[in-house]
Amino acid sequence: MENLFEQSSLFLQQLVNGITLGGVYALIAVGYTMVYGVIQLINFAHGEIYMLGAFLAYTMVTFLGLPFFVAFLLTILICASFGIILDFVAYRPLRKAPRLAALITAIGMSIFLQNLARMIWGSQIKSYPREILPALFYRPALSFGEVSMTWLQIFILSITVVSMIILHLIIHKTKVGTAMRAISQDKVTSALMGIGVNRVISFTFAIGSAMGSMAGILVGLYYNAIFPTMGYIAGIKAFAAAVLGGIGSVPGAMLGGGVLGIAEVMGAGYISSEYRDGISYAVMIAVILFKPSGLIGRQMGEKV
Amino acid sequence: MKRILSFLLAFGLLTGVAWADTIKIPVAAPFTGQLASFGEGVKNGALLKAEEINATGGINGKKVEIVLEDELCDPKEAATVATKLANDPDISIVVGHLCSSATLASLPIYRTAKMPAISPSATNVTIGKMSPYYFRNVYKDDFQGFFLAKYADRIKGFKKMAIFYEVNDYSMGLMLAFMKEAKKLGIKILGTEAYTSDTTDFKPQLTKFKMMKPDALFIPGYAPQGTLIVSQARSLSMKNVAFFGADGLDDDVMVKNPDAEGLFVTTPFLPDKAGPQAAGFIKAYKKKYGKDPNWFAANTYDAVGLAAAAIKAVGQDREKIREYLASINSKEKAYDGVAGKTYFDKNGDCLKDAFVKEIKDGKWVSAEKQLQ
Repeated sequence: MENLFEQSSLFLQQLVNGITLGGVYALIAVGYTMVYGVIQLINFAHGEIYMLGAFLAYTMVTFLGLPFFVAFLLTILICASFGIILDFVAYRPLRKAPRLAALITAIGMSIFLQNLARMIWGSQIKSYPREILPALFYRPALSFGEVSMTWLQIFILSITVVSMIILHLIIHKTKVGTAMRAISQDKVTSALMGIGVNRVISFTFAIGSAMGSMAGILVGLYYNAIFPTMGYIAGIKAFAAAVLGGIGSVPGAMLGGGVLGIAEVMGAGYISSEYRDGISYAVMIAVILFKPSGLIGRQMGEKV
Repeated sequence: MKRILSFLLAFGLLTGVAWADTIKIPVAAPFTGQLASFGEGVKNGALLKAEEINATGGINGKKVEIVLEDELCDPKEAATVATKLANDPDISIVVGHLCSSATLASLPIYRTAKMPAISPSATNVTIGKMSPYYFRNVYKDDFQGFFLAKYADRIKGFKKMAIFYEVNDYSMGLMLAFMKEAKKLGIKILGTEAYTSDTTDFKPQLTKFKMMKPDALFIPGYAPQGTLIVSQARSLSMKNVAFFGADGLDDDVMVKNPDAEGLFVTTPFLPDKAGPQAAGFIKAYKKKYGKDPNWFAANTYDAVGLAAAAIKAVGQDREKIREYLASINSKEKAYDGVAGKTYFDKNGDCLKDAFVKEIKDGKWVSAEKQLQ
């Protein structure tokens, strides 16, 4: 009986770990999927925005001594504008070029930004100082037997959920959201209807980058580790999550992130921690094999 | 920028003497990347030794020049660096590599090129047996694992333990050695879990450990992950579990982490347990770098000393250097370094003492009870 109780609390704790990790993947995946939705570009530099977010906030709290929440908001604003600049510099000139050209530029930007961060901050792992958050955040908020959830985990989850709701409202209830959806269906016709296509695309990049940088800061806080290649690893996982959910679909990215996070944690917890990433990717491959458009993606025919 | 300046400065000071020729001694270690702070000790130790050799006339009138080769502790990079060094006719001996996986990757390349190498820090058991050209002035992991298990049993009284290892040659070899001895001592190993070096989320594995309720968790990995592991374990409120590791956790990043309080590790060198032969070195090191030398610095200082002694005795011939090093095979012929006497067995391995240090009030201190 006691064994059963222990087994179930182990499972619950792993579920809590998995949901937190999945929430973070979802935040990043949304950025991939939104950009893909409007311009059919897989923005490989998105993982680097996530990394830059973590480092910018780190610099603000350590060198400039700003309070954490100020740094948090400032970083999101800076990264949002950075996303716009990224689009302006790297992708807009190639809007009419073959899609492969923009994809390669995206990979180039990713490598460039990663190395830029390495030059600025060095390649060693850095940690946020613990004092920046109230001590409360590190205390267990809920404990049930052996299962515990810290305030930090709750903070991360609630930020994830709130920003997802806001995003949903933006896409479905605002003018610019309607324009985004229109462009994702047909760019040329949208332009003919008087939609400022480039402005809407800029806005998409801004939103995606804001969410990505938010994820970067949250992960930096949660795992206490930021380093220049963090964007590459997380970017690949989040991209997998976006594909798993159905690329181009925002609810799909949320669902994909959650599934991937839980699969990864459960794989490490119950099958083999040595093959942790292998297991999570295997889940993704299995889904794609049976449902090529992802969990809730639209069928897109030849549009890859 | 500071690094470049200090290089220029050191160079400027050294070129004050007119040298007929220079002897290059390459030092291969991670100088950038996650494990760069290990490389810092290596660099400091090597440069200090070279400076001292040059201040007393160099090697037979030739100046020693340390060439730093960065390999990030990555086996792929290590193989590239090793190939480059092996094909350079000016190089007759290598000091390195630092990590066991990098050392094992470089090993066949040096063996083919008949290039002798002295690793100051690679502890994986298999290295010595695989090549007559590899020497090391550090203990092996069968000894370190044996030592740690005995320490955990006798001094700490841990009876139930779990092991959290990284997927690399160092960590896995050390785990096996530890488990072998633990079994003999009757310590119960409740479970083992793995992680890879690019992991930042250790919670799924730690959650499993938490349910096993061990007395202690052994982390035979490297410090960048070690510090994250102890922090994440605390945030999962893993209470009443002690943490300990081996020489891979001996790094300043650990003491900066308040969650690591109480952690203990094995180390090949402790300034306050070192013999009188180390006093001059510790003083000079402190003066030059403003802190105590760690074991990477001490062992590299000795390895460069050994390399210089070999070149001085037999010249820059790779085969002769290997023979010279292999002939240091008894206590009487031992090289008397700052980290103890070094002499090699038939595999090029050596026996050295291990010490224990722990984190107390945010500082590394020698453990009160050492195992003799």
